[in-house]
Amino acid sequence: MAERDTPEPSAIAPDEVQRFCEFLYRRTGMSFSESKRYFIDRRLNERIAATGSKSFQAYFSLLRADAEHEIEHLINSFTVNETYFYREDAQLRCLTSGMLDAIVSRKAPGEPIRIWSVPCSTGEEPYSIALWLMENWPQVDNFNIEIVGSDIDTKALKAAVEGIYGDRALMRLSPDIIARYFTRLDDGRYQIDEGLRESIEFSRINLIDTADMARQRDFDVVFCRNVLIYFDDASRRAAAENLYDCLRPGGYICLGHSESMSRISPLFRVCRFPDAIVYQKPEADHG
Amino acid sequence: MPLIKAGGKAADKPAKGDNSAGHLAGLTSAAADTRWSTARALAGRADAVPALAGALASEDSPRVREAIMTALMRVGNEASVKVMLPYLAADDAGLRAAAVEALQGIPEAVAPFMQALFADTDSDVRILATELARNMPEAEATRLLCALIENEQHPNVCAAAIDVLTEVGTKEAIPVLERCATRFAATPFVPFAVSVAIARISGTEA
Amino acid sequence: MAEADAGRSHGGKRILVVDDSSLVRLYYRAALEKAGFSVEQAINGIEGLEKTLTQAFDLVIVDVNMPRMDGIAFLRSLRSQADIAVAGLPALMISTESEREDMAAAAAAGANFYLVKPVSEADLVRHAALLAGVAQ
Repeated sequence: MAERDTPEPSAIAPDEVQRFCEFLYRRTGMSFSESKRYFIDRRLNERIAATGSKSFQAYFSLLRADAEHEIEHLINSFTVNETYFYREDAQLRCLTSGMLDAIVSRKAPGEPIRIWSVPCSTGEEPYSIALWLMENWPQVDNFNIEIVGSDIDTKALKAAVEGIYGDRALMRLSPDIIARYFTRLDDGRYQIDEGLRESIEFSRINLIDTADMARQRDFDVVFCRNVLIYFDDASRRAAAENLYDCLRPGGYICLGHSESMSRISPLFRVCRFPDAIVYQKPEADHG
Repeated sequence: MPLIKAGGKAADKPAKGDNSAGHLAGLTSAAADTRWSTARALAGRADAVPALAGALASEDSPRVREAIMTALMRVGNEASVKVMLPYLAADDAGLRAAAVEALQGIPEAVAPFMQALFADTDSDVRILATELARNMPEAEATRLLCALIENEQHPNVCAAAIDVLTEVGTKEAIPVLERCATRFAATPFVPFAVSVAIARISGTEA
Repeated sequence: MAEADAGRSHGGKRILVVDDSSLVRLYYRAALEKAGFSVEQAINGIEGLEKTLTQAFDLVIVDVNMPRMDGIAFLRSLRSQADIAVAGLPALMISTESEREDMAAAAAAGANFYLVKPVSEADLVRHAALLAGVAQ
């Protein structure tokens, strides 16, 4: 911990920290117990310094107005932004221990299972889904499975198509899985198996653009993790309506572990599986 | 190979319900899916406000209502605000909540109506209207909410206004809050709410 | 009752407060924690459901009027859960209105008791203790 990273921590009054925490909770659903007080003070002081704010009040005004995307910077400072294989694997476990069984029970013979990773960033998530299914779902050979990865960032998508990763991205994978699905390159990085790279469709998409989203339909499961938390209410609303149309009736949405549908939309049903809470588009809409 | 590439098929597939997209008649279809997709296709279209208003008045499906409110919110002009405001007094609680959320998203368009809302004879409308100030700039929200509190006789309306001030209020609200606590000293929640609001607003300046 | 005694008698009982007002949640929390309960919060019915499905509680205290999912819809959803520990959770409903239809709707949705605002600390704690199964 470098000294310069820690501006004087005493500048913020406890009531102001409460005011900030209440705002963060209402806006994102993230909440921190008293024992995390030091962590909050530190992050908050960092953001106050980074934005050149003269006081907590000045910073809080800037945050409320979301000037210069401060909400995004703030959330980044409170969350871990790494992307790596098998990240937040509770939902991957949930996929093979419950969600897919429910999905295939509704499938006509020969109908593919469609899974969407959006945003997919540099590809770790859609490839993780593919690896996880091949390793953990006994029925994997009985169905045609289509996995699509989409992102707004075309540079990230290009990297996803290449499928080349460093050690850190692979830290959660067993040596056995790495040996079977990756090729070690001369520069020490790893490239994922060509068959896998060619089986996943990558495309550019903007979640709040309805015309863009209309090109994606009939998904059984959407992994939409750690992105809606950054959106304002109007954008969340647009994204939720778009995602609703991208899902088959009875299809599921998985959010990031610090996200809650309570801040996003009433369109989906809360669904408990042994490994995770996911959200379901109602099977039959009676209203 | 169990994994198959999705290919371009999906991209060429027309979206379900798209055949009615943009045609106002879709709003009166017997199929909720058609009404939903029509409302979504009309999002942001100022010329569709009268049709959306008519559709909202007769819509039973909460999902379609949401989509109509979203469409009106994306228009975000005076006409669309005027369509949604009466729903703050709707009998259906879900409809009231949906209206609050949609209106909250367009604070600039709602601002000119705040004074009239705060003068509404229905205290439940005044309570919901306090939420509409939440996304407004601090100075404006503080001015509006303080004007409300000063003349408000209903403790629940004051409590709702104080809740919003706790997040958005500036120190100009402090004397108004203090007077409010005195007036409603007999309702324990109000003095409690005022003490929290003042502490949060004052912060280091206390 | 002295605070220490209250802490002992209510110790370990967890209450979920579901209300969209931050000040109401804080008010209930302060009163309930003083009486020895531990308190978790939710901002609307959806978050209330998410929390009851992932954490164990002895009681939920729920507001009627909330955005996205109101108290009645929350209770209906809670009572329809397959897990009886969740579906059978005692629920205390609180509303600003005293109209008869609200109480009828609350009862039909599965509320165990109904209080009308403003709710005093003493009333809140007494009913919470009764419903959470605290030995008096």
